[in-house]
Amino acid sequence: MRLPDSVTGSFLVVLGAAAAYGGYILPPVPGQPVGPNVFPLVIGCGLALCGLAIVFGIGRSFEEEEELVPFEDGQTAAPPPQSKLYGLRALLPPALLLFYVFAADRLGFIITAATMVYVTSTALGARWKLALPLAMLSPFAIHLIFGKLLRVPLPVGLLPTPW
Amino acid sequence: MLKTLIDAFALISTWEVIISMFAASVYGLVIGSLPGLSATMATALLVPVTFYLSPIAAIATIVAASSMAIFSGDIPGALLRIPGTPASAAYADEAYAMTRKGQAELALGAGVWFSAVGGIAGVLSLMILAPPLAEIALSFSTFEYFWLALLGLMCATLVARSSPVKAIAGMFIGLLVACIGIENPGGIPRFTFGLTDLFGGIEPIPALVGVFAAAQVMRAMLTPEPPPLPRRKFGSIMAGQWKLTKLYRWQMTRGNIVGIIIGVLPGAGADMAAWVSYAMSKRFSKEPEKFGTGHVEGLVEAGASNNASIASGWVPSLLFGIPGDTIAAIAIGVLYMKGLNPGPTLFTEKASSMYAIYLMFIIANILMIPLGIAMIRVATYILLAPRSAIMPIIMLCCAVGSFAIGNNMFGVVTVAAFGVIGYVMETNGYPVAAMVLGIVMGTMVEQAFVTSLIKSDGSILPFFERPVAAILAAMAIGALLWPVMVWVWRKVKQPQAAAATTR
Repeated sequence: MRLPDSVTGSFLVVLGAAAAYGGYILPPVPGQPVGPNVFPLVIGCGLALCGLAIVFGIGRSFEEEEELVPFEDGQTAAPPPQSKLYGLRALLPPALLLFYVFAADRLGFIITAATMVYVTSTALGARWKLALPLAMLSPFAIHLIFGKLLRVPLPVGLLPTPW
Repeated sequence: MLKTLIDAFALISTWEVIISMFAASVYGLVIGSLPGLSATMATALLVPVTFYLSPIAAIATIVAASSMAIFSGDIPGALLRIPGTPASAAYADEAYAMTRKGQAELALGAGVWFSAVGGIAGVLSLMILAPPLAEIALSFSTFEYFWLALLGLMCATLVARSSPVKAIAGMFIGLLVACIGIENPGGIPRFTFGLTDLFGGIEPIPALVGVFAAAQVMRAMLTPEPPPLPRRKFGSIMAGQWKLTKLYRWQMTRGNIVGIIIGVLPGAGADMAAWVSYAMSKRFSKEPEKFGTGHVEGLVEAGASNNASIASGWVPSLLFGIPGDTIAAIAIGVLYMKGLNPGPTLFTEKASSMYAIYLMFIIANILMIPLGIAMIRVATYILLAPRSAIMPIIMLCCAVGSFAIGNNMFGVVTVAAFGVIGYVMETNGYPVAAMVLGIVMGTMVEQAFVTSLIKSDGSILPFFERPVAAILAAMAIGALLWPVMVWVWRKVKQPQAAAATTR
């Protein structure tokens, strides 16, 4: 998902302009020169300026020493397969979180959580021998900590909790 | 003084505090040692748990978990050349080279020992710096607070190891996120798009969990699994550390001081402290040629530095509510939640709580030595746990934890959204720490800015009239112009260099 600077920069220009306009149309507080509209206006303008600077490549020379934490060791790690669909795997975690939002109330915590664990684990390369017991046990462990000890009202759903 | 100290002891000597501190230490050590799980993430995932603890126990868990995680990031760094936390990345190569030379014990022992020393130095700085600064801060008006907050935001962009323009853009995005909701000077719904869930604004904690935890799981989906750890037997871990302390006492002190300064600077945290100190150690060393071949000197200085910054990061947090680093940003959220609102009056009204925080830091750093040694010995087994077993649990904790903060599913949506935002920003070179600071400080910046503007009747002049405000303003504007000046200087220098080579 590495995008060219011109794309991210243009997006920031649009976002900044939208924020500035959104701030501008907010109703002012009667009898006061400044209200809730000033701050978004300032930020929006700033953001748009930054976006412009990024489009024109200002400050890119500072990026050369950017080093992310080296995960690959080079010697042992195989190069990840490069296909269009492979990059979409990154969207799996947020998708699963949204699945939790929509399904937890209906299916209940245990079932939803087990599904999430199983899918994440398999996506990261686990065999069913690891993923299945993990999906069976970890929701109960989390339920014990959050539901029982910390009294978070986790949805019950289809499975009643008899303990 | 003595009475407050006794009160502080009474506050921390309850079973709840002791147990939660111990549990949080173990948790911090484990999370920190697992590659890809950072100290910030450990702290962020801990917040929902702190909801259900007493104020002191809640802070105890954060203090213990963050200090331990910063140290234990050294373990996989030394054994696998994969830093457990970004703060250990600066010297992971060096530590690994020592392991290959058969000095794993010395490298890891230096990690434990100098982390603990650095942590205690950080606490001392917190104890010494905070009260006098609180005296000064009592006379601050909104003008000073505005410039201080701006200075904090600018520091965060200066130290980001990326393009400063992108860092400033990240900061603006964070401030924009903070605009959402009805908590603004007019009390009207702003950028809520008619969604009731957005009326209360974006909660910083789910946003942080998204940026630091969910985004990490997303990244794990695309990176290959780190190699398993070769099994090994360790000799004595603390042997030779005292000798190192005496040999490298200047390096250690310098590391402590640099760590403290970087910790106090808003936005710059342990990872920055480690990078700067390691570079400094190499620069001032009598034997710089040994660096990179398994030389312990840089480890001493950087290890002393990153843990010192953890404690001193609390100075601006406690005094002004301006986080010294991302971990302190989370801590501020917890402080507000627990009725210990940051501000200079905290030191007079809740003095015993402050002393309790100092004591907990000291205890956590002493506890680090035995627990750290134990952790090094069992690390081989913990690092056997495959990523495909850890990441799903992290996902569950993200979902349940963010739900627990408000018993509200919108928290989980926030985590998902900020996971995506954080992931996209990080891959495109936008530092997420700057955005996080913007989110945490947005409301405060706006309040100080708008109140000042109302007081000054729309005029800009009073922003510079008070002496302290003028100094802070000069510093903030200087910080803003600094990258511009460097850029211009490079532009001027480049043609000269080009001309010199062609000649």
